Amino acid sequence: MKIDGKRNVWHNYQKEIADDHFYYVRSCIRQNFFPGSEYFFLRVMKEELGKDVFDDPKHTTCTGIGYHSDVVPFETIQTVVARHFALMKESGYKNLAVSCVTSFGIYSEIVETWKEFPEELEKIRNLLRKATGKEFDVPENIAHTSDIIYKFKGEIAEKQQYQLVNKITGKPLQIVEHIGCHYAKMFPTKGVGGAEFPQVLAGMIEEWGGEVIDYPERRHCCGFGFRQYLVQANRGYSLANSKKKFESMAPYQPDAIICNCPGCTMFMDKWQYVLAETEGKYYGAGKHGIPVLTYEELAGLVMGYDPWDLGLQMHQVDSEPLLDAIGIDYDKNAKYDLSKKISPKKVLIKSELD
Amino acid sequence: MKKTILTVGGGLAGIEASKTLADMGYSVSIIEKENDLGGKVNQWHQLFPDFRESSDVQDYIKQSTGSKDIMVFPGTEIASIEKKDNGFYVKSNKAVAFDIDAILLATGFEIFAAERKEEFGYGIYDNVITSVDLEQKFRKGGQFYNAGGKVPKRIAFIHCVGSRDAKTGNHYCSKVCCITGIKQAIELAKLIPGVEIFCFYMDLRMYGLEYEELYKTAQEKYGIQFIRGRLSEASENIDNSILIKCEDTLSGRPLKMNVDLVVLLVGMEAGEGTQNAGTICNVEFGSQRFISCRDAHLRRNLTTRDGIFTAGTCTGPMSIPETLENARSAALEIHKYLSEK
Amino acid sequence: MKSIYEQLSEDVRFMEGIKACMNCGVCTAICPAAEFYDYDPRMLVNMVQEKDEESLIELLKSDMIWYCGQCMSCKTRCPRNNCPGQVISVLRKISQELGYFTESTKGRQQLAIKRNIGDTILKYGYCVHPKILKPERHPEQGPVWSWVYENMEAAYTRFGSNLDKEGAGTLRKITDDILGELKSIFDETGGTELFELIEKHSLKKAKEMGLASEDGNLDAYMDHIQTH
Repeated sequence: MKIDGKRNVWHNYQKEIADDHFYYVRSCIRQNFFPGSEYFFLRVMKEELGKDVFDDPKHTTCTGIGYHSDVVPFETIQTVVARHFALMKESGYKNLAVSCVTSFGIYSEIVETWKEFPEELEKIRNLLRKATGKEFDVPENIAHTSDIIYKFKGEIAEKQQYQLVNKITGKPLQIVEHIGCHYAKMFPTKGVGGAEFPQVLAGMIEEWGGEVIDYPERRHCCGFGFRQYLVQANRGYSLANSKKKFESMAPYQPDAIICNCPGCTMFMDKWQYVLAETEGKYYGAGKHGIPVLTYEELAGLVMGYDPWDLGLQMHQVDSEPLLDAIGIDYDKNAKYDLSKKISPKKVLIKSELD
Repeated sequence: MKKTILTVGGGLAGIEASKTLADMGYSVSIIEKENDLGGKVNQWHQLFPDFRESSDVQDYIKQSTGSKDIMVFPGTEIASIEKKDNGFYVKSNKAVAFDIDAILLATGFEIFAAERKEEFGYGIYDNVITSVDLEQKFRKGGQFYNAGGKVPKRIAFIHCVGSRDAKTGNHYCSKVCCITGIKQAIELAKLIPGVEIFCFYMDLRMYGLEYEELYKTAQEKYGIQFIRGRLSEASENIDNSILIKCEDTLSGRPLKMNVDLVVLLVGMEAGEGTQNAGTICNVEFGSQRFISCRDAHLRRNLTTRDGIFTAGTCTGPMSIPETLENARSAALEIHKYLSEK
Repeated sequence: MKSIYEQLSEDVRFMEGIKACMNCGVCTAICPAAEFYDYDPRMLVNMVQEKDEESLIELLKSDMIWYCGQCMSCKTRCPRNNCPGQVISVLRKISQELGYFTESTKGRQQLAIKRNIGDTILKYGYCVHPKILKPERHPEQGPVWSWVYENMEAAYTRFGSNLDKEGAGTLRKITDDILGELKSIFDETGGTELFELIEKHSLKKAKEMGLASEDGNLDAYMDHIQTH
C-alpha cells in the first residue's frame, strides 16, 4: 500500500472547521450510553483548550433516529433543526458543534436542501414561526465534534501523558478507525478526508502515536440500520453487518476500534458481546474482544484522565487490554465503584493517586 | 508565396494533417510541448482489433516529418494569439513567434487520472493499475507479474473508469476503452496460460468493424468472462490481493471477488493542453471540455472561429484510424479555407 | 386523485434521489441490505422509474421498501447522482400516509417504532431515554446495561450527568415549555398527523388480525410485530 496515495486524497478534503464559540447539540445515544464522552468533550474544550462552548439546556433531540426510521416527517425534522438554529441566533452563536453523526448528516442534508430548494427554506421559516414564533439564521459553520477534536489534535498531543504505543514491544498500536456512514457518505466534501479514505480519526490516531489499519470491509456500514435495530425482529441485520466487519479486521489483530458515531461505537461493542455469547467467538487476544472507544475517550486516555471517569466501564467489551498495552495507571478495583466522583484533576502517575 | 499553417500539437493528428498540407504545397510549423513527437501512440504495444504492432504507426509518423516544408519545434507551447489582417500572429513560450494564415489545434487527449476514482484505490493499492500501465508492462515484456511479484491467477478488467460518470464530471462514453479492454484481456490470456479473466462492464461498445468478432473470440477462444456490473469498490486484502465489489445485474445479486490484479480501463479527457490552447485561441468548448465542432455533422474540423481548425481527439475520443481520417479532413478544410481567401 | 408517482414527485427528496437509473449496479454492490436480505436497490429504482401505478401500489404494500438501513452508501457511488436511500424514505412516507404499510410484515413494525421512539421524543425530548431501554427487551445490550439500568441515578451521576434534573448536562430534564414547543412543531408540520395515521391504520390491521382487545389495547399486536 502506498500511504502517500492516501495523503493525496486527504489534500482534496480539508473542510473549514470553526475555531471557537460553539453551540453544542447533544446525541441521544451518547447521552444514554457514553455520557462520559460528552462530559469529557466539554471538559477538554473548556478546561484544556480554553474554548467557549455553550451547552444550552433548551435544545432537544434533532429527531434524526425518528426521521431515519420514518416516523418523523421531513418537514418536522427540518423545523426542529430550524428551532435549534433559532436558539443559536438567540444566544449569539454561529458555529454548531454536533455530537452525533446522524445529527451531523441531518444538519448537513437540510442545509444543502435549503440551498438547492430555497422554497423549502421559506416553508420552514413559516412553519417555525407558526409553531414557536421563532426566527433563525443558517449557521456559518457546522462541525462534528470529531472534526473539532481532529482540529485540536496537535494541542492535545502537546498534553499527552501516554502514547498509542505498546509499552512492552515499543510498536505503535494497531487501531481500526470506523467512521459513521452519515459523516461523509452523503456529502464527501463535508468529511475531513472525504468518504473513501476519511482522515478525521486516522489523523488523531497517527498524531497520538498509533497506526491505522486498512482492512477490506473498512467502509462497510456497522449495520445500525435504524429500524433494522430498533425492532427486535430485525436485529439480525444489524448483527450480521458488524460481524462482517469483525471477521474482516481480525487478521490484522487490532488493539482497539475507535468510532466517531454513537451508534457505531455501541454496536461494535455490543455485537462483539453477543457473538461471544452465542458463537463463542472472540476477536481480540485470548478470550477478549477488541476494545471499542469513542474519540473523546481516546483523547482522554492519552492525556492521562482516569478511564473510569471517562466512562469506559460502560462498554461491554473490557477496555483493560488496551489500557494495559498503553501502560496506563488505573485502579482496577474502582471500575464499578459508583460512589466515586469525576476527579477535578487528571490522574497522572500512581504516586498522585490518593 | 506559400501560405503557412501553425499546428499546435505534434501527435498523430497534428503530424498527419501537417504532412497532408505540406504535400499539398503549404508550409507548416508544428509546435509540440513535449520533447518527442508522436503523442500517446508511443505508449502503446499492440493495437486493436488485430494486434498490429504500434511500432508500425510510430514508424509511419517518423517518416512523415521528414519534409522540408514542415518545421518542428519541440518543447514549445502556444502563449498568445493576435488576429492580423488575413492571418494570426502567435507567440510561444520560447523565443520563436509565428506569422501564419491558419491555425490547426491538434492538442490531443489526456488519460483520465484514475486516482480521482478514490473508491478504486489507484495510487494506494499496489495491485490496482490502469490500462495505460498495462501497456507499459506489455512493452517491457518478459514474465508477467503483479505488484507482489506473483503470477496472477485471476484478473479483473473494469470498464468505464472516469467515463459515463456524473461524479467525475465526464458524462460521455470514451468509445475505445471497451475494445481496448478486450484486446488487453486476450493479450493477458496469451501471456499467462490458465489465468481467469473477468471483464466488468455496463455495456459493451463494440462499435467498430471486427470489434464484436473480437468479443466473441475473447469468449470462445480465450475463456474470458463478462459480468454486467460496474465496479463499486476495491479494497486491499492482507495478502495484497484486491477485493472487488459489484452487482451481477443479470442475475440481480451482489458479487464480491478476490483478484490478483485489477485493470482500470480509463477514458480519454480533454486535457490541459487542449484547455490552454483552446482558451488562448478563444474557441468554444463543449460541456465535456472538448473543443466544439462548428457543425457536428457537416464540418467537424471547424471551430467557432474562422481560420482556426481542429484535428484529432481534442474534439472527442477517437481511435487511431479515425484520428488519421479526421486529420486528413482537417487538411482539406484548411486548403478550402486558404484557397477562398 | 393523484397517482402514486405524482405524490412521490412532490417530495424534493424524490426529485433529488431519482434521475434516470442506468442499471450499473454500484448501489446494490455495496448495499448492506442487498447482502443480507432478498433486496436489490437497483431493481427497486427501476421499478419506480417505470411509473406503473399498479406495481407501485404493490411495492408500497410489500416488504421490499422496509429493508434499507439508510446508510447512504449508495449515494456516494451512483454515477447518475441518484440515491436509492432517499427514494426509499419517500416511498415509506407514502406507504404510511396511504395505510399500505400494514400489508407487509416489516411495514407493520412502524407502530413499534412510533411508540418506542416517536412517543419518547414527545415525552422526554430525546429519541431514547434510559427509562425506556428495559434490559429484558434489550438482552444484546449486555450485563453492563442491566447494571446501569438498575443503578441509573448513581451511574449517570458517576459520569457527570444531570439525569432528569433541570439545567444543562447529559440527560437533563427537558422542561415542559420546551416539550410544548416540540409538540407544537409536530402539530404544525404533520408530525402529529403521521403519528395518528400510524396508530389508526395499525389499529385497523390489529383488529383484522385478531390482535386487538375490545378496548383498543394493542399490546398483543405490539408483541407480534416486534417479533415477526
